[in-house]
Amino acid sequence: MAVKEKAGREAPPAPKGGMTLRRRRTLVGLSFITPNFVGFFVLNLIPILFALLLCFNKWDGYNPMEFVGLDNFKYIFTHKVFQQAVVKTVIFTVFSVVITMLLSLGLAVLINQKLKGIGIFRTAIFFPYVASVVAVAAVWQMLFQKDMGLINEILRALGVADPPGWFASTKWALPAVIVVNIWKNMGYYMIIYLAALQDIPTSLVEAGMIDGANAWQRFWRIKWPLLRNATFFVAMMLTINSFKSFDLIYALTEGGPGTATTLLSQYIYNQSFVSWDYGRASAAAMVLFAIVAVITLFQFRLEKKFSD
Amino acid sequence: MKKILSLVLAGAMCLGLLAGCTSGKPTETNPPAPEKTDPPASTQTDAPAAPTEPAELTGTLKVSGWDMEVSGSLFKAVIDAFTDANPGVTVEAIDIPSADYGTKLSVMLNGGSEVDVFWVKDADTIYPIANRGQMADMNQFVTRDGMDLGIYNGQAEDFNIDGKQIGMPFRTDYYTLFYNKDIFDAAGVDYPSNDMTWTEFEELAKKVTIGDGVDKKYGAFFHTWQACIQNWAVQDGQHTIMDTDYSFFKPYYEMALRMQNDDKTCMDYGTVKTANLHYSGVFADGSVAMMPMGTWFAATMIEKVKSGESSVNWGIATLPHPDNVEAGYVVGATTPICINAASPNQDLAWEFVKFVCGAEGAAAVANLGGVPALLDNDTLKALTSVDGYPDGALEALQVKNMVRDRPVADKVSEVNQMLGEQHSLIMLGESDLDTVLADMGEQSKSIQG
Repeated sequence: MAVKEKAGREAPPAPKGGMTLRRRRTLVGLSFITPNFVGFFVLNLIPILFALLLCFNKWDGYNPMEFVGLDNFKYIFTHKVFQQAVVKTVIFTVFSVVITMLLSLGLAVLINQKLKGIGIFRTAIFFPYVASVVAVAAVWQMLFQKDMGLINEILRALGVADPPGWFASTKWALPAVIVVNIWKNMGYYMIIYLAALQDIPTSLVEAGMIDGANAWQRFWRIKWPLLRNATFFVAMMLTINSFKSFDLIYALTEGGPGTATTLLSQYIYNQSFVSWDYGRASAAAMVLFAIVAVITLFQFRLEKKFSD
Repeated sequence: MKKILSLVLAGAMCLGLLAGCTSGKPTETNPPAPEKTDPPASTQTDAPAAPTEPAELTGTLKVSGWDMEVSGSLFKAVIDAFTDANPGVTVEAIDIPSADYGTKLSVMLNGGSEVDVFWVKDADTIYPIANRGQMADMNQFVTRDGMDLGIYNGQAEDFNIDGKQIGMPFRTDYYTLFYNKDIFDAAGVDYPSNDMTWTEFEELAKKVTIGDGVDKKYGAFFHTWQACIQNWAVQDGQHTIMDTDYSFFKPYYEMALRMQNDDKTCMDYGTVKTANLHYSGVFADGSVAMMPMGTWFAATMIEKVKSGESSVNWGIATLPHPDNVEAGYVVGATTPICINAASPNQDLAWEFVKFVCGAEGAAAVANLGGVPALLDNDTLKALTSVDGYPDGALEALQVKNMVRDRPVADKVSEVNQMLGEQHSLIMLGESDLDTVLADMGEQSKSIQG
């Protein structure tokens, strides 16, 4: 806004070169967004609209499409693996979102201090986020290995006679995957919280101190309400990212054992690249999209309600 | 305004979820009719001053295979043999890592004519590709050149779908029994015979399981592939994995579970799976006495011993057999070579296919210790006399009957995927065997419709 007002004041009144300033500014503006928009249009929008078309068709990726109406949806909704995938995706998302949020906020509060070498800690916590998924998966596979993995060694030392099989167990594979997912992502969300914490004016916190608020009260009554925007952002990004989580789980378990960690995105992958049925894959992708869209809209509503 | 903008942006973000699920575009599927530039040899007689040898071939072919840069690659060997024999032809090899081969090949074929000739790695992906109309029918060439497909001992018929010859048999791999002579010597037990039932195999495994803890030598090793158990159930040729009553798997799963859980004569599936142990490493470092594995593993072992990576003194015996069939009934798969229906170079592509599946190609494969599909006793003798092959390999590799582990049929990749998922549940002891077998049947029925 400020830029616009300033520009308005300084703008010469007469048009130059047959083009009004307004039009020229519009063109410059358009030229700035064009590269991004072309990319979005070609790489996102067209494929999305195409997927919308595909979910009502049977297509193997090569031969002409065949219109099948709602058959793809009928198939996936009655497919046991799909039903389980939806439930597992929801479980995965709920645990990932809640725990990652709590941990990243906690870490941000801890790390928001003036200490020598704090940069090292910040980097260490952020590092998993930038590390390669494949490398991360390989390391965690070793840590969770059921016979000689570090985690089970520790559990045995603590007196657990029969520690879980983790990736080799249908019960424990999903929790193990959630743990790795949280560990991988919390550094990123910690940075967001950290930035928000550092934005909080010290005067407010100091005022609270003068009024006799203890540390917990200062956090809960002053900082937490001011972190609202960051919290909404973190919650929304986490939800979306958890729902579409694919690479990490693929690298860790490929959806196994059995279908224990086959989440929606893995299901979509299997339908596309094992069965070569793009129709069913697109139908499943639409369901995923619908779920995420509804949750995101709900989060927006919530944010609006709180900001009023 | 800001709200709306952020809504739009968030919407775009969610939409991003859906991107990437689609690719390619529909292409015409009718294979272009081959140009009749080369008249059949029989009609060439009245051509004036025609040389008796066919005209020299020229052109460029794009051929795709996997792991071609790995030493001892059979693909590279036959491509080199072909270009040596036909210096006018340039072969561009499209080398794809084996783990990604199935997916990349299909994506490439969906893209149109990027590749002229291709090998298919996984037997269960043959039918889907053929079904999409991406494999050219070679019948016209076979008839034109008067080729006898009988020389492939029935393997060519496996790639005949609805009368279309969609592939030619290139190499054959079948399961055989690799064993570690050092462990047998240490246990004072005779080496495995070429005529042994699976029951005898189970007993023998007990005798050659020696030691404890980290030094333990296991009597047997089943790799984590479902093939390494389920194959023994289809070995007698009575059933295929496309049956919907999987009770015929039961005796073999019971055997594997007994060996794994009670006798502890084979390595635990969960350990092998979660530690990502590769069968070649386990065998090459001398931890197991017997391992049923495909014939391709012989070339790997020869290489490992030659390079000093392994000091195992290994041998080969015929695959153990079910009680109801005799020794020499084996289970395996034939790797086909196919022509892309959308390729503009059909004629040249056929010449390549004919060469690599013919005598010269077979010789190049056998020289590296691989088993060509065009197999007679002389070829078998040649390949088992490759430096590094153990004594007695010629007798051990004799085949009386070979069944395909995965038939060329509709929905086979979906069924195969499902059986793989269920296999891990059984071997991990996550579910009761009868329950899983019943569930396999249900799911197979639902997949096959």
